[in-house]
Amino acid sequence: MREGLGRVWTVASKELIDFVRDWRTLVALVLVPLLIFPLFFIALPIFMQGEMSELDQYSLDLEIQIAEGDLLPEPISDAFNESRLNQTVTTLDPNLANLSDTGADAVRLQNGETHVILRLSSSETNSTESWNYAILYDATQELSSEARARVFHVIEAWEDDIINATLAESNLTREEALDPIHWDGDFGDANVATSAQTAGFALSMFIPMIVAIWTASSAIQPSVDLTAGERERGTMEALLSTPARRVELLYGKWLAVATVAAGSVLFQMLGLLIAVSFLLPADTFGVPQLSFGAIASLLLSVILFAIFVVAIELALAVRAHSVKEAGTVLGPVVLAFIVPAMFAQFVNLEGIEWWWFVAPVFNVCLAMREALLDITDLTHIALWLGSSLFYAIVAVTWAARQFQREDLVESIS
Amino acid sequence: MTPTMTRTILSVRSVSKSFGEVQALKDVSIDLHRGDVVGLVGGNGAGKTTLLRLLCGLYKPSEGAVVHIDSSGNEHPVSEVRSNLGVVPESTGLYARLTAWENIRYHSRLNGIPDKQAWNRAYRISRELDIEDDLQRPTRGFSRGMRQKTALIRALSHDPELLLLDEPTGGLDVTSARKVRALVRKLGEEGRTVIYSTHKLNEAEEVCDRIIIIHNGTLRADGTPSDLMGKTDAPTLEEAFVILTQDASREVETPEPASKFQQFWARLTTRGRNPPSDSHESGLESNGGSSDGVGGDTDA
Repeated sequence: MREGLGRVWTVASKELIDFVRDWRTLVALVLVPLLIFPLFFIALPIFMQGEMSELDQYSLDLEIQIAEGDLLPEPISDAFNESRLNQTVTTLDPNLANLSDTGADAVRLQNGETHVILRLSSSETNSTESWNYAILYDATQELSSEARARVFHVIEAWEDDIINATLAESNLTREEALDPIHWDGDFGDANVATSAQTAGFALSMFIPMIVAIWTASSAIQPSVDLTAGERERGTMEALLSTPARRVELLYGKWLAVATVAAGSVLFQMLGLLIAVSFLLPADTFGVPQLSFGAIASLLLSVILFAIFVVAIELALAVRAHSVKEAGTVLGPVVLAFIVPAMFAQFVNLEGIEWWWFVAPVFNVCLAMREALLDITDLTHIALWLGSSLFYAIVAVTWAARQFQREDLVESIS
Repeated sequence: MTPTMTRTILSVRSVSKSFGEVQALKDVSIDLHRGDVVGLVGGNGAGKTTLLRLLCGLYKPSEGAVVHIDSSGNEHPVSEVRSNLGVVPESTGLYARLTAWENIRYHSRLNGIPDKQAWNRAYRISRELDIEDDLQRPTRGFSRGMRQKTALIRALSHDPELLLLDEPTGGLDVTSARKVRALVRKLGEEGRTVIYSTHKLNEAEEVCDRIIIIHNGTLRADGTPSDLMGKTDAPTLEEAFVILTQDASREVETPEPASKFQQFWARLTTRGRNPPSDSHESGLESNGGSSDGVGGDTDA
């Protein structure tokens, strides 16, 4: 027994040394997971802002089609100029069924003759001023969409001015007319959930999915390298000729891959926590406060899931003769973990049926969600723990059987 | 030789090995004695590698048995006594990101040998092979010859009783190949049994005191080089080999059993294409009188 464990450790430690010496593996399994969220949270706003300001620089063409007899209101003409919209005023076709009827203008917009068309026609109401309008644009062209946004912005401001003027004529303020029932105080203060609880709730919606996706995907490369890779490089034959039992070799390799995959997931979680704690504005997101039981439950579910996933990936990779073949098989298999993990986000935890906690992948994802919400339901814990252990044992047993294959010594190279 | 030196340590008894419909070995029986340096000779696809894999327990015989016999005469399945085996596969099987010593240490640990003991032994052998200065270097940059030497040291680091060498001089320069051959002779003199698989007849004649010729999965001859030449009335071992292996070589690789779907798919995807012409080469190198040089093709 002790000798067997020693061999398992020998194999695992050798594989870990092999991983650590490959800078590409370190980048893929440590640096990328650690930095992906911080970079995302820093880079995304900067990128979005940059792209938006880039579009702001453009002078865009606006064609205003106004009904015969109507005059273009001066305030909006000035506002269009300020919004860098080059205006051309034409007369509205009187035969249109309604102002949104694109007619022949559709082709002109698609051909880029103008970026946007504003149609205006005054109407009679009790308001101080009333207009019908439509903005024609091509949603597939960025500049056309940008022009529409600018026109819409001007129209909204113009509408506000008209409303204010109408209300003023009746001696009413905007608040009296449009907001007669109003909230007193701050919205956030009325929520009894602490910011930590709110953060836990929000994180519970996507952490299980991230864990599932990253565990499954980060285990692929090491699983393939340690099995099909060894076959391809011809190192498997020498290894299998040692006194180590095949099951010991498998457990050693499994331990190494599971350590790498679990480590990679933990680095990603660390990166997420850093991003949430330091990079987001304080009122956006809090840091979840979890009880010891919830943390233990979270870690246990990640570990059991890693055992299950890594064993399946190793078993499938062992059957392949080459790295290429293993990659072809394992790529689509990851979807089998990702899809249930995505669906598990939307399962209602209130009154949830027991069988969700025994369904593969769903069980650990839901267990993580409950842990992040600090929900302790002993029946659920017993169910996911028992079923996860069962699946992990079945997967490891299957992997061990695959490792007994006689053709393991053969390679296509 | 003394009686203890001729003790049988490995017995191959009527062993056949099939992979699906292909029979790789047919009814092979061999007894290997302590101190034997046995040359396993045959062309490509003859069944040499299959036999080596059976000898170290990587394959299970379809029929017959391979047993290890200990000094008390007790028989054990060979897979249970792997600590008595040292194996150098043709591919050498070294990990590129590990140093030569780490490769050796990995296997010696799996053999249950303390690091210090393994180091002392590895260092001593590495000096005989002129590679002691390279033990702490990653094997990534090693030449084929250096890899062969490292694999040989690794196979010897746990002091095995039986050594299985698959093309051990393949890719080695003249001097290195001589050193390896000298080491093999020395191992035989120390009482170790060495199975030396090779394409090179001259090398087999020089190193081995017994030659086993395998052809198309059958045992064609087993004896000293002079026995084989005498039996065939041939002036050279090469002539004897040609006489003993007159039927065409099958040149097959060890195949996996194909499922019905795989067979159907293979038929579908190869329809209308010309099959490759059969090779009748023996795949054997005589080396024109020299036993040194670059190794031959991959054997199945």
